[in-house]
Amino acid sequence: MSEPNTPPVPEVPEAPAGPYVYDYKAAPFRQIAMPKTVPLPSRQTYLAEQKAAAEADEAKWQKMLADYEVAKTKAEAEGKDAPKAPVRPVPRKDDNDLKTPVPEEAKDADLLKLQTLLGDKVEEIFEQAGELVCQVKKEAILEALTLCREDAALKYEMLADQSATHYPAAKDFAFSVVYHLTSISRRKRLRLRILVPEGFVPESACPLYPSANWMEREIYDMLGIRFANHPDMTRILCPEDWEGYPLRKDYPTVGWGQRDISFREDRSGMLERIALQKAGQLGINLKQPKAD
Amino acid sequence: MFKNEEMEINLGPQHPSTHGVLRVKLRLDGETVTHCRPMIGYLHRGVEKICENQSFFQGQVWTDRMDYCSAVANNLGWAEANEKLFGITVPRRAQYIRTLLNEFNRIASHLIWLGTHAMDIGALTVFLYAFREREDVLDINEAFCGSRLTTTAFRIGGLREDLPPGFEKLVHKFLAKFSSCLEEYENLLTENRIWKKRTVGVARLSAEDAIALGVTGPMLRAAGVAYDIRKAFPYAAYSEMDFEIPTRTEADTYARYQVRMAEMRQSARIIQQCMDGMPEGPVMAKLPKILRSEVNEVYHATESPKGEIGYYLVGEKGSLNPYRFHVRAPGFINLQSLPKMAEGGLIADVVAAIGSLDIVLGEIDR
Repeated sequence: MSEPNTPPVPEVPEAPAGPYVYDYKAAPFRQIAMPKTVPLPSRQTYLAEQKAAAEADEAKWQKMLADYEVAKTKAEAEGKDAPKAPVRPVPRKDDNDLKTPVPEEAKDADLLKLQTLLGDKVEEIFEQAGELVCQVKKEAILEALTLCREDAALKYEMLADQSATHYPAAKDFAFSVVYHLTSISRRKRLRLRILVPEGFVPESACPLYPSANWMEREIYDMLGIRFANHPDMTRILCPEDWEGYPLRKDYPTVGWGQRDISFREDRSGMLERIALQKAGQLGINLKQPKAD
Repeated sequence: MFKNEEMEINLGPQHPSTHGVLRVKLRLDGETVTHCRPMIGYLHRGVEKICENQSFFQGQVWTDRMDYCSAVANNLGWAEANEKLFGITVPRRAQYIRTLLNEFNRIASHLIWLGTHAMDIGALTVFLYAFREREDVLDINEAFCGSRLTTTAFRIGGLREDLPPGFEKLVHKFLAKFSSCLEEYENLLTENRIWKKRTVGVARLSAEDAIALGVTGPMLRAAGVAYDIRKAFPYAAYSEMDFEIPTRTEADTYARYQVRMAEMRQSARIIQQCMDGMPEGPVMAKLPKILRSEVNEVYHATESPKGEIGYYLVGEKGSLNPYRFHVRAPGFINLQSLPKMAEGGLIADVVAAIGSLDIVLGEIDR
């Protein structure tokens, strides 16, 4: 019987080095791919990328011009018609409603005020998609939060959300921790961000914002970042004896003893029986006589 | 029996009044609660991890299954967060239809809250009345997207389908009777002496405590803070709608009941305005077949019936799935305030406090 159209089984690499060792041979489709880039939005990186792209574009254009000059002199020497002059390619315009927001220069008064008050403790400020982002040094997070809460001109009363992201491809940090602050009286939102290496223990926001209690427990449970001066640093969603931190990028998405089931696979032999029956109706004998 | 001893008991995880699998560890001195510790995680499915390993579009079915009583509100927050990430402008007609369905969902969610909360406290009749009207809302859901509970109602960039023929008739039929239905519930509860004895002054949470603990939604508005994301940070078509934010200052269980009842009236008002001012036009933005994200991070919060539901997304350049998918579940944050409300009160009032929180464990554990 001919091979049914089974999808190509991906090559199973060696198990990733780290705390989670899993044999992916049982479930090859569920192997995790470690991220290769660091998708951390930042105006500095964005500007550097833009500059590099513009330079590459210019270099390409210059090469096209040079090639044209060479071809032109060659054609003149051979007495042929001159080649067509090159046209600088314009970026293709897509006919859709997508307009990806890019990191823009910080113009908001809150961000500028934070920068003047905190000085060189602020690593970066920018605005993206209408959201205010302020990245501070990891040691200064409590100071920044105090300022946001207590300063009369800022007055961010509520810590709406706190979360963290794992960046295994980054060199000088492993996690970003973000604090989403809301000012109810001024109707504003602000995102504070710190970059944390593996093993670093940032200060807990609990003394200032009691709502950070469970959110920091969740971050500890899911990503393994501990917080200093937290009243109750225990797991919250997973059991106490759970091993590993599920939201890290190297955590497997497959459980012990789990395997991939291919629904195209003819495990019961049903498809083959039907094929033989159909062939028999057409007068074809697919059953090959056995040698013995 | 004369010894002054404290007793420790577990409320849940299998207890009908904990609305799912919530376990509350209580320490009692007689009938007074001296210590209260909610323990969660019995329904943890790893929604965030699953969504990070699926494409942007596939995340929506998991938002349905977080807070299954207000699936449309979850879908709306998810869709708008993705649209913010990609920078998509949604057509105006789609915005109106989204607003319309979201308000219907708010009514359905508040009705299920009303029924179960009243049942916890002992008023069994209201449950049947509330579920009668909720059935009509679910019929409207079914007419729009074929599904009653886990709706998957929206798409990134708009809607999959326009409103079906005959939808207007369904809505008007519902609106015509709904205000009299609300009066019916209020006749059963508002001046009911037993209801008032069980709720007035029970499980207080002051405005300062609520803000410090991150409590949002009707819980916060019952403490006198007029914070509604539909007004504070307007999304969908809410900036064009005329409605009020009902608030109370008593900050107790009764005030939360009054706020939610008033909110249902406002929802009916918004639905009427949506139907009257429904613009014509397309319901889907022009998008490429495959969406690939750029490096970007967004936090988008919307007002779900339970409070602020926020989606935090991080996009990787050229990727088909979100690099990070985090949900700020309103129930998760609101449940933190349970010890504050329960400690010092009676054990019977813990049930009233849990009921007034309006929690769904599916979104708390995720």
